[in-house]
Amino acid sequence: MSVQTEKVDSVPAAGVRKNDAPPGGPAASSTERAGGSAPYLLLLPALLATAVLLGYPLVKNGMLSFQNLNPRQLILHLTEWNGVDNYKEVLGSSDFWRVVERSVLFTAANVVLIMLLGMLVGLLLARLGKKMRLLLMLGLVLAWAMPMIAATTVYQWLFAQRFGVVNYVLDSLGWHSMADFNWTSSQFSTFSLVTLVIVWQSIPFVAINLYAASTTIPKELYEAASLDGAGSWKSFTSVTLPFLKPFLLATTFLEVIWVFKSFAQLFAINGGGPDRLTETLPVYAFVEGVGNQHFGMGAAISFLTIIVLLAMTGYYLRTVLKQEEDEL
Amino acid sequence: MKRGLIAAIGVVALLAGATACGSDDKTDSSSKKTGPDSYKGQTLTVWAMDGSTPPGWTKDLTAAFKKKTGATLKFQTQKWDGIQQKITTALSESTPPDVIEVGNTQTPAYAATGGLADLSDLKQEIGGDWVDALNKSSVFDGKQYAAPWYFANRVVIYNKKVWADAGITDTPKTRDEFFKDLDAIKKKGKAEPIYMPGQNWYFFDGLTIGQGADLVKKEGDKYVSNLSDPKVAAAMELYKKYQSYSKAPKDKDEATPQQAEVFAKGKVGAFIGMGWEAGTAIAANKKIEGDIGYFTIPGETADKPEGVFLGGSNFAVAAGSKKQDLAKEFLKLALSDQFEGQLAKENGVIPNKESLNSNLTGNGAAAAPAAAGGGTTPLIPEWAAVENAPNPIKSYMTAVLNGKSPADAAKAVEAEINKRLSQKS
Repeated sequence: MSVQTEKVDSVPAAGVRKNDAPPGGPAASSTERAGGSAPYLLLLPALLATAVLLGYPLVKNGMLSFQNLNPRQLILHLTEWNGVDNYKEVLGSSDFWRVVERSVLFTAANVVLIMLLGMLVGLLLARLGKKMRLLLMLGLVLAWAMPMIAATTVYQWLFAQRFGVVNYVLDSLGWHSMADFNWTSSQFSTFSLVTLVIVWQSIPFVAINLYAASTTIPKELYEAASLDGAGSWKSFTSVTLPFLKPFLLATTFLEVIWVFKSFAQLFAINGGGPDRLTETLPVYAFVEGVGNQHFGMGAAISFLTIIVLLAMTGYYLRTVLKQEEDEL
Repeated sequence: MKRGLIAAIGVVALLAGATACGSDDKTDSSSKKTGPDSYKGQTLTVWAMDGSTPPGWTKDLTAAFKKKTGATLKFQTQKWDGIQQKITTALSESTPPDVIEVGNTQTPAYAATGGLADLSDLKQEIGGDWVDALNKSSVFDGKQYAAPWYFANRVVIYNKKVWADAGITDTPKTRDEFFKDLDAIKKKGKAEPIYMPGQNWYFFDGLTIGQGADLVKKEGDKYVSNLSDPKVAAAMELYKKYQSYSKAPKDKDEATPQQAEVFAKGKVGAFIGMGWEAGTAIAANKKIEGDIGYFTIPGETADKPEGVFLGGSNFAVAAGSKKQDLAKEFLKLALSDQFEGQLAKENGVIPNKESLNSNLTGNGAAAAPAAAGGGTTPLIPEWAAVENAPNPIKSYMTAVLNGKSPADAAKAVEAEINKRLSQKS
């Protein structure tokens, strides 16, 4: 969906330059060949879907964020505009800023872990023999294919306080204080558990992506490097890494979004508890908005969430936009 | 390559969409009058809470309703968890469920939203001798917004075999005796003396009432938290003592896992719950049926049982329902002496009229003289917000059980409680 949307921006720009652009430029030639309104018609279904499924909720959400919308207003279908009151209240509360800080740290920790472990697994995939690679691939794809709530439930069972396998194993290995350990009793242990689930769910994506990328590196480069006396570390840093850099950047960017917006895992495991200490922005928006039935407030928080996310991914977006300008 | 930006917006928009519900289009909620003859072929949807509708009662009532009106009765069972959000959404729709069961502590809040139909005429017609204490929650601003259905009392449900194994011959009459019995079971070492999760706030509220205190107090013209009251702290200490006999998680309530199902495994001496939870246990393990016994939660002295939270339920009619008259026909039937009595008998709950209490004779589950030592949270619209997850009362309980002093734990959650109590609607 997003790919098509991107073209709608670039096509007019290319169209303007169509006449004086030298033939052979990729954007220009494709526009020439297609001609007239055909590309727009082809884009229409996707644009329509985007507008209905994303645009409408976004606009609606924006409108809600300027309303005082509680059960009474919802049930009686009242529209009470209250200007920027919701934003004022959210931005003025120390809770919100604590949640923002927590969300950023949580995302950073998870993304770093995912990228490190994912890269290691990806490199391992490249090195393995055929059969083992297939086996590992299979495991990765299965983990990736597991529905989110199902995976979360399985982890909840694994880490259950009284009858969980993990506590049982830790106990049998001699760590007896873990026999009845409650994994959701503190902020740190809850976050650890959630992080484990999220990292486990994300590694396949990164690993397979990077494995695919690494297969495009020409073998000769490694030979040349080893002839120059480069060890394995040296050839990794001066051959593999530069090649993988664009992939790493793109994957990191996607992972930041994915982790930042993760809601199901956090909410299913402990509802943002204990004592609301593991609420990240999406959970906070849900608890304040839907849970406490302040729908306008929830809308304001979710809008601010988008802004925080944009700020976090700003660096990547800038580089991408810059590249785009250079290309034009 | 602007896809990054667009993907970012898209992804978050999806997430933002989660909170974007509700609509501001006006729907005409005035009900169309329909004569009795036109009921035929209609379906009346009733939302009842988990456990409220025993099978025999449901079957007989559905049949009687069909016979009387020609319309079909459709019960939909709802879970307590997250019920407020569900009811709010349902009431805002153009075709809400026609009749809903609303918990007594939450009824004032819904009455205040304007989503419930005025039942004052029904009260005049059939509600002459409804028990006052039960009816209180249904009245808001002088109008009747719901009809009282039943009270549910909490009792001790115990496993006779476990108690006999520990050499206990009689049920306890005072709190100290109760603790002594629990000690005996603990010493025996074969079973968990009592199953008591950390967040059974209904039981905690009962203990608070027993201490002569309340969870909130009135300050000027508004309600604020009363958790820092030493009497509440004393109630919490009692709760802590009960909880120390249990291996149940300190950060979960009685529904996760269902305490009756834990009890059904036969390794638990007792738990505190509603009479009908025995039925849940029997459904989970048929063999336990013969071992189940009940007694009133004992208090400080033998003559005064422990305070209990009088959970209760009302039937309310959605203001947006197009079948107002049919809904009232349903209420007249369901709340008639016949069916109210049958419900009391079958579910062990206290009926809405004192004259029907005879149905409880010989029913162990409802053995306790309820109204005497019972109470509820304040019946004000602002209260319901406190019960929303994450319920600060539960956070307070877990904090104390994890070693915080009651005073410190109270301080930590009072701001949240006060915020919720002062929420503008």
